[in-house]
Amino acid sequence: MSRRRHPLPWAIGSLALFVLLAASLLTGRLALAAALAGLGGVVAILAVTLFRRHQGGPQRLSPFQRFYLWFVGIAVLGPFIPLVIASFAFRWNWPDLLPSVWWWTARTTARTPRGWDYVFSPISRVLESTANTVIIALIVTLVCIVVSLPAARVIARENFRGKSLIEFFLLTPLIVPEIAVGLGILITFIQIGLAGSYLGIVIVHLIPTIPYMVRVLTSVFQGLSRDYEEQAQVLGAGPLRTLWHVTLPMILPGILAGGLFAFLVSSNIFLLTFFIGRGRIETLPTLLFSEVSGGRLDPEGAGIALIVTIPGIILLIMTERFIKEEVFAKGFGG
Amino acid sequence: MVSTRKRLPAPPQPGPRQHLLKRFYIPLMLAPVVVVFSSLFLGSLIVALLQSFGYAPLYNVDEFPTVRHYSQLISAPGFWQSVGLTFYYAIVPTIIGTAFSVYLALALRRRFYGKALFNYIYKLPLMIPYLVGVALIILLFANGGLIARTLFQLGLIESTRDFPRILLSHGGWGIMIVYLWKQIPFTTLIVFSVLIGLGPESEEAALTLGASRWQTLWHVTLPQIMPGIVSATIIVFAFNFGSFEVPFILGAKISPFTLPVEAWRAFDDADYTRRLRAMAIVMVISLISSLLLISYLSLYRFYERRRGRV
Repeated sequence: MSRRRHPLPWAIGSLALFVLLAASLLTGRLALAAALAGLGGVVAILAVTLFRRHQGGPQRLSPFQRFYLWFVGIAVLGPFIPLVIASFAFRWNWPDLLPSVWWWTARTTARTPRGWDYVFSPISRVLESTANTVIIALIVTLVCIVVSLPAARVIARENFRGKSLIEFFLLTPLIVPEIAVGLGILITFIQIGLAGSYLGIVIVHLIPTIPYMVRVLTSVFQGLSRDYEEQAQVLGAGPLRTLWHVTLPMILPGILAGGLFAFLVSSNIFLLTFFIGRGRIETLPTLLFSEVSGGRLDPEGAGIALIVTIPGIILLIMTERFIKEEVFAKGFGG
Repeated sequence: MVSTRKRLPAPPQPGPRQHLLKRFYIPLMLAPVVVVFSSLFLGSLIVALLQSFGYAPLYNVDEFPTVRHYSQLISAPGFWQSVGLTFYYAIVPTIIGTAFSVYLALALRRRFYGKALFNYIYKLPLMIPYLVGVALIILLFANGGLIARTLFQLGLIESTRDFPRILLSHGGWGIMIVYLWKQIPFTTLIVFSVLIGLGPESEEAALTLGASRWQTLWHVTLPQIMPGIVSATIIVFAFNFGSFEVPFILGAKISPFTLPVEAWRAFDDADYTRRLRAMAIVMVISLISSLLLISYLSLYRFYERRRGRV
């Protein structure tokens, strides 16, 4: 082999071929479908012969795995390209593949702010929702850490009756549908006046965040030997000084990981915020819901969808830096 | 340094106060989480349960205990279709997604160029709300969406009506694509982290002892990552079964609806007494979902016992 062939064109080509084949089958063009299937077969044989010799031991990707990784990457990122285009469109009618009128050309003539002008104007409530999302998620994260820390320590270190019951109990929100919890809480909160308040939203966000936090912190405490704390106490430090100077600094990376997790979960919650916020308090997910709930996506909706994605990208970079993959294994692998 | 060690103070002797502390240490440490959790989570479920049995003084309804709302619900036309639809939308993406995720996790263990970048890319859907996925699907797969437009430009279809309905139909492929797009990264992450924790030793041993790739995968790797697969599928299935916003936006606009959408429609009705029916529906959702998961778990236990691991 003189030169490594790149599999990207093959991935795109076979994806397009697959879509065309499905479309011709669905629209009843059997002759075309047969021709495409034949072409597909030729391509497959070609691909196999071309990439066969790339195998280099069990540590390397097989050609199909390489193709598959490209497929996943394109499927994840690809749809964002039309989303960006849609956010800059002014008129984009059937059957145009690109907008016929762009936002920047129609910007000055439009009577109301459109496209990105709308997104950044106060009418869209984008800034307000972003602030709400971040503030609520921060408070939820802090409360969640304070509530979960003692329990995680005990679960990781002590043996007591009913321990597995408590562990199971703390995982049930992952299994019981959110809507069941949400409707019950909504009724109660309407009665006691917490519906439509920040406090109410922070409280309900604790339900889906605590299970993750307890799991992550438990695994952190399991990885932390008791020796250091005992040494501190032997050397005469009281329980508070031990906590502040020995325990907390050692579990800080774990707390950071759990906190990122809780922040991520809280900022993505739609249903509970939608129920308890009652339209009075908008977060980014509820704002996007009102944009897409009609089943259509206008340029303003596309812009807001992009804005909603930004915190996710920031969180992605932070979690990749601070959370090791093993944390997830300890949390869920059993 | 032997001399300094001799001068260390003796460990503190437990006094009476510390005995008391020790006795209540575990309950005290567990108290915050248990109190918050019971009052919120159990409390809300109990409220929903009471209301579904006819206790709702808020709307001047008190016919406790009555099973009227349940019997009306179950005898209503289309109820079992709703259950079937909810199950179908939940199970298909769980199965397809798990297969895709396991394969992805296995590939991610290998060395390849751009691995660090790919680690960022594939996790992106995990970090953003389902509604972003909904927006992307509308843009691509709607009847006037980009794929339909591409087909039109290629002369394969003549109007938007020729494009198969992927959104707003009971087939639900739009809903399931969003679930897959969002959940494959989740399952992959869990399976991959379990794989990392296991290390390659047992697989290498199997390969050295002459097992083929398939045998190693089937008899060594898959059984070892089974716990991760099971917990991921449980979480994903339970989520899909109770998911509201995706089928609400992308599902068909005529009956049958999925159970969570049905519950919201009953709850949002101008007639407040219909809210009791909504509570009955969410109780049915929780019941069916937990029954399915319990039988799944016992099936898994049975499998582990057959293998002699428990």
